[in-house]
Amino acid sequence: MRISYYIYYGLVTIVETLMRMFPFPAKTGYQRIGNPDENSPVLLTCNFHLTILRLKKATRGLNYHLLVANSKGINVWCAATGDSLNNHSVVSVIKTSGIEDKVNHKNIILPQLAAPGIESKVIQKRVGWKILWGPVDAKDILDYFEANFEKSAEMKQVEFRFVQRIEMAIMWIFLAAIVLMPIWGPLFKLEAAFLLAQICLIYFLALISFPLFERIFLKEVEKKKAFLTLGNLVVFLINLVYASIGVVLYVVIYQKDYSWMLLRWCIVSFLLVLLVNMELKGSSSTYKSDSHADKLFDVEIDLEKCRGTGICVDVCPRNCYVLDTEKKKITMPRKKYCVQCSACIVQCPFDALYFMNRKGDIIKPETVRKFKLNLMGKRN
Amino acid sequence: MKILESAPYRYDKGIKILTLGKIDKAYDRLVDPIKKDDKVLDIGCGTGMLSFRAVLKGANVTGIDINPEMLEIARKRSEELKIKEKIEFLEMGVAELDHFENDSFDVIMSGLCFSELSEDEITFTLNQVKRILSKEGQFLLADEIKSRSLFKRIINWFLRIPLVIITYILTQTTSRAIKNIEQRITGSGLVIQSRKSNFLDNFVELIIIKEGKK
Repeated sequence: MRISYYIYYGLVTIVETLMRMFPFPAKTGYQRIGNPDENSPVLLTCNFHLTILRLKKATRGLNYHLLVANSKGINVWCAATGDSLNNHSVVSVIKTSGIEDKVNHKNIILPQLAAPGIESKVIQKRVGWKILWGPVDAKDILDYFEANFEKSAEMKQVEFRFVQRIEMAIMWIFLAAIVLMPIWGPLFKLEAAFLLAQICLIYFLALISFPLFERIFLKEVEKKKAFLTLGNLVVFLINLVYASIGVVLYVVIYQKDYSWMLLRWCIVSFLLVLLVNMELKGSSSTYKSDSHADKLFDVEIDLEKCRGTGICVDVCPRNCYVLDTEKKKITMPRKKYCVQCSACIVQCPFDALYFMNRKGDIIKPETVRKFKLNLMGKRN
Repeated sequence: MKILESAPYRYDKGIKILTLGKIDKAYDRLVDPIKKDDKVLDIGCGTGMLSFRAVLKGANVTGIDINPEMLEIARKRSEELKIKEKIEFLEMGVAELDHFENDSFDVIMSGLCFSELSEDEITFTLNQVKRILSKEGQFLLADEIKSRSLFKRIINWFLRIPLVIITYILTQTTSRAIKNIEQRITGSGLVIQSRKSNFLDNFVELIIIKEGKK
């Protein structure tokens, strides 16, 4: 029983990590976890198959009611910012799953990362349920329960950990491999294998170099258009060295007919390195692109409207906000860590937060609530 | 996740390709029982493909859908067709059907919506339809279904795969097929008056009433 569960868990994790780009819908509706009674907490999650599996694994031993809302098979954060997990999904699962007959309270714990898509005000109004924003990671749920539903700062923060970044890299590599394979030849042909290895490593180097890069070249990054900077050059050189090692190794191992193949290999390597470096930061999920910095939107505070309720502190996944309890106003000391997930804008009851870019274009809260992040690029 | 960005303005085109153009004829047939001045509810109206047909037959239509972008397109079209006062679009899901009063609609219709719903939602919707439909009212349903015959299911499956891929690439739209919808309708106490399906048994048009004629 135990062993078969771990084999299943491992297989599902591998398959769904490789294919993470695509939705994996699970059955929606009500589930009993452990042995809950009518006072047990109610949790809600998306219907991405892997999420539910991981949630159950992380919360083994706890007793609660689980509602799986329809997010079209997409994970919580992507679904919430892309309008697949929205007010309708939550209202629908609360009303149609029969949960109201199973518990004697009306509190529901949602993953904090669902905050960009779901308005607690609307849910309260339509079905009378009160939303509590739970921790970001399922593994913190145990501590969250024990702390009597109080979140620590660590529980609120998305860290983009090393393992998670590797997971994302694997997803992209797998997709790239599938697309490139028919063009480049059969699976185990040496040439293709080399190319893939090179893509992996370049991307990997690019990803791990960011934190270092930020620390050393912080001043340059704050410039408006930091495109040809020393930092970019260093990463570019590292990658170029790797690319040339690849070329040399390739020629040594795969000796025949290398005259034109060497040229092709050089061109491809150069293009790859150039491509990655051109949008070095923009190609990652943690950093913002440098090449069109003035078009990027930042969160701004309208201090006249702010009344210091501190809901933004509760939902911000980067801990950007601190509440000034004396003035009853919000401050944003960690603004540069903001990832523009829009959670605070959607949740603010007084519309005190909005998006603005350096050119002065504004996106109002009601537009964000309506379209989420779907139209960030094309709105006029 | 750019690949999953919704694309409502391509939805109509996508559905037409997926159903090989038969959707227009099917919808024309479906609205046939609607009479002048009927009160009509369109569940999952989308861009209004069914709603406008009903309005053109003289009915007063309420269309509900959860996608605000689709509704935006529908509203724009109703202005172009100059039928704004005969039609009302509301952003709400099937879970909020309980806001309507008993027996408040003469006709309820739904095209390609039930296949998007979860099992709980289908049960809930059918119960609500039973409640808000007037005594002599009709519930018109058109949707893609999974055939009961295994042979036809296999043929459908092979025919559908290339179609789904092409449609998704062109329009980022896709649809699903529902299982056992007829049993579920009769199970919730409604009566199927007439059933029409195509040769491959993958698309069904149903006329459903509240009680059998005595």
